[in-house]
Amino acid sequence: MRSINLKPRFGKAASMIFCSALVLLSPMKASAKEFFDGNVKVYGFASQGATYTDHHQVFGTSRDVSLDFREMGLITSVKLLPNLLISAQGLYRDTGASDTQGTRLDFAQADYSVPLFDSSLVLGARGGRVKIPFGLYNDTRDVVWTRPSVLLPQSIYFDTLALRQAMIAADGGMLYGRYTHGEHRFGWEFMAAEPQDSTGGATGFLTGIPHMPGLPKSEGSLGGRPMLLGRAFYEWMGGRGKLMFSIVDLDRDFSASPGLSAFYQNGNTKVTYPLFSAQYNAEKWSLTAEYGWISSDRSGYSTANTAFIQGLPTWKNNTSENFYVQGEYRFTPEFWAVLRYDVLHLNRDDRGGREMSRLSGGLAPAHRFYARDLTAGVRWSFARNFLLASDYHYVNGTAWLNESENPNLSSPEASSHFSMVTTMLSFRF
Amino acid sequence: MAISLASLTAQADDAKVRLLDSSGNTKQLPVETVREIFFMRLSSWPDGSPIRVFVLPDDHPLHIRFAKEILGVYPFQLRSAWDRLVFSGTGVSPTLVESVEEMRSRVESTPGAIGYTDKQ
Repeated sequence: MRSINLKPRFGKAASMIFCSALVLLSPMKASAKEFFDGNVKVYGFASQGATYTDHHQVFGTSRDVSLDFREMGLITSVKLLPNLLISAQGLYRDTGASDTQGTRLDFAQADYSVPLFDSSLVLGARGGRVKIPFGLYNDTRDVVWTRPSVLLPQSIYFDTLALRQAMIAADGGMLYGRYTHGEHRFGWEFMAAEPQDSTGGATGFLTGIPHMPGLPKSEGSLGGRPMLLGRAFYEWMGGRGKLMFSIVDLDRDFSASPGLSAFYQNGNTKVTYPLFSAQYNAEKWSLTAEYGWISSDRSGYSTANTAFIQGLPTWKNNTSENFYVQGEYRFTPEFWAVLRYDVLHLNRDDRGGREMSRLSGGLAPAHRFYARDLTAGVRWSFARNFLLASDYHYVNGTAWLNESENPNLSSPEASSHFSMVTTMLSFRF
Repeated sequence: MAISLASLTAQADDAKVRLLDSSGNTKQLPVETVREIFFMRLSSWPDGSPIRVFVLPDDHPLHIRFAKEILGVYPFQLRSAWDRLVFSGTGVSPTLVESVEEMRSRVESTPGAIGYTDKQ
């Protein structure tokens, strides 16, 4: 018999109190709390998810229905001057082993912009702990209200691999500009920042050393050149048509923790992640696609103990393939449906993973190197401040599953596919 | 009774939606500037004073017609753009009013305000 996982923990109790406080703060009619003539605004959201899988685990013990999927944020935005906005978000997030940071200062940024030429051109600068502008959804990925489905396409927005903290915000600054001409709108952002790649699974992801039984985790610190990022977009008719190009470039030096130097020497990882995005929005339906690849280039790290990993040609230089195609249909303004096909190939020259599996000496089965996710979902905003969303996923391949939650992924018995139902209830003000 | 209700509805449908502002200066604005203002991407008037934007709820018939007829967009596009600004901390949402009467009184009493109403 299956049981629902309801382990009482302090973090959960704190989050429930936080959630109740949000509800009390906010009468149903309000969309935000406003103070000082609207110069100070407070926003919040609280979302609780439930996840069920037939094989493997996603966000906790999902084979027994996991409730380890909780996202709550409180945002304050202050307009000190008409064009100077300071905003910060406190966030509590729990997605099982994929996010164990709990409560955090998610972003805290100051933004100053100057309109020029009768406001058709706007130039601006933003600094602090800034949100990372990447693709169509990264900037606001914690809020189910801004997501097409409960879970974003995992080929591009990695939530299960514990990379969310490293992907969502970084400490630094950016310059941006946008230009409007008739029905056409162009914009660009350029960012240089210190990524939060010491969090979650980011270090393991960048060093490329998998977390395997019998090997210590690749703990150490990453430093070196700041992350560089660029994003450019074109919008037609107020966003009816959207084209976007984003690119992240990382060049990070890894210094192994002293106790681990027998396993991992210092090394360097270079990663480039370009992403092309397109969207068309009609009155009743939207069509969206994003395509990108992660190109990684590693040197160093080598010791006798890990020579078998470093010996793999794909470990040193590898290029993935990441894309999805998605259709949304709005039956009513409150009730939407989504259908999506989402594909991740860890090596685009070996889409079936057979060569990668062979190179690992059979330590990793072929299905560890790809994931093809067919998703059907619905979202229903049954009251102004409440949203209920649910997705069904059929996933062939285990490439984006978390190894901490699924330690047996590489065993010969591990299923190459799984089904998942994930549901989320959210309140916002 | 049925006839009078029907004619009232028809009358309401015929009413033109128009911009409303506290200074009467918005008539000269090109539509792309009005769109940028209601998408909350411009925060100051040319003289540097703050722009205060007022909107009706997403499902209000006048809001739907304002979005489609004046801005040339669908209400879900506005909501999506505001949510992206709010939850990325890069902007704020407009101030929500619950009725056309409240819209008129808030816009008239707030310096630098802009909203919309039905032409009578």
